[in-house]
Amino acid sequence: MSENMSQTRTKSQEFVSGLLDELPLQAGIIPFGMVYGILGIESGMTVWQTFLLSSVLFGGASQIVFTQLISSSTPPAIIVSTIGAINARHLLYSTSMLGYLSHLPLRWRVLLAYLLTDEAYAVSIRRFSERPHNANMHYHLLGSGLLLFSVWQASTLAGIILGAAIPAQLELGFAIPLSFLAIVLPLLKMRAEIIAAIIAGSVALISQGLPFNSWLLLAAISGIIAGIMAEKYLPHSEQENR
Amino acid sequence: MHEMIWWIMICCGLITFAARFLPLSGLLPDELPAGVKRAMHYVPIAVLTPIIVSGIFIADDGSFMLTDNMRLYAAIIAAAIAIFTRSILATLIAGLSSLWLLNFLL
Repeated sequence: MSENMSQTRTKSQEFVSGLLDELPLQAGIIPFGMVYGILGIESGMTVWQTFLLSSVLFGGASQIVFTQLISSSTPPAIIVSTIGAINARHLLYSTSMLGYLSHLPLRWRVLLAYLLTDEAYAVSIRRFSERPHNANMHYHLLGSGLLLFSVWQASTLAGIILGAAIPAQLELGFAIPLSFLAIVLPLLKMRAEIIAAIIAGSVALISQGLPFNSWLLLAAISGIIAGIMAEKYLPHSEQENR
Repeated sequence: MHEMIWWIMICCGLITFAARFLPLSGLLPDELPAGVKRAMHYVPIAVLTPIIVSGIFIADDGSFMLTDNMRLYAAIIAAAIAIFTRSILATLIAGLSSLWLLNFLL
């Protein structure tokens, strides 16, 4: 087994290890995808639109927001700006993958960029930064990304099919703020982050009545500015992030 | 309306793919400007918190709910579970089941 410690892992070994690393996250992805499928149909999108948005956007939080904005007939420019603001964080993921992927041919970079979601990024960046590097390493991201993609499509479809059978009294739409709560709370470690959350949340409530459903975009921008200002102007009693 | 939705979907898809691909395209500098990085750090918090609070306090008809708000109580229970377990699934189960129970009991 260990006759050669620097033995290169094969493409399929990297691919399977990506699949396996991604697997535990599916417990959260399946209900999330199903709720998206249900909300998509409720928002007035067609079955095809709801299903295909899961591959056109391929981003859970942004798809949920998309359905909310569509159902309250928001102007297209506001929808596109809001989704752009939400998904701008992928610039960070992609940039941090540069050192590992930039040597690949264009078709590989296009494919892997498409698969670069929060969850695939989270497990594959860990593999890239921790274990020894080799020439087949990008197959790890292919494995984690393809597993997430397949499960996301299947659970979207399950939500679309089951949606009609689920009574409205169950308030399944509440699953969305709940799952975001589980994502956001662990992020609130420093004062600036807490201030960003408080400002974004307050602006969201105050600006509900504004035209064009612009409350979310406005609240997000206010929260980002508040976080940056707090980081800059409050004395640093806590450790600097990154 | 439905045709318009297709166009909005395509634009949102393109802008999202651009965010994922542009740094890998080799067309951008290898490092994002420090200001952009700092702003990105707050994006998840600044985007998701408004969705959380409006999901808790804004009723389906758009009115503000403060008193007799079962979602608020369920969210408080879920928040405790979220901090304790850091699991999305556990938070979902705790929050939804307490909402159903509160709606049933009260």
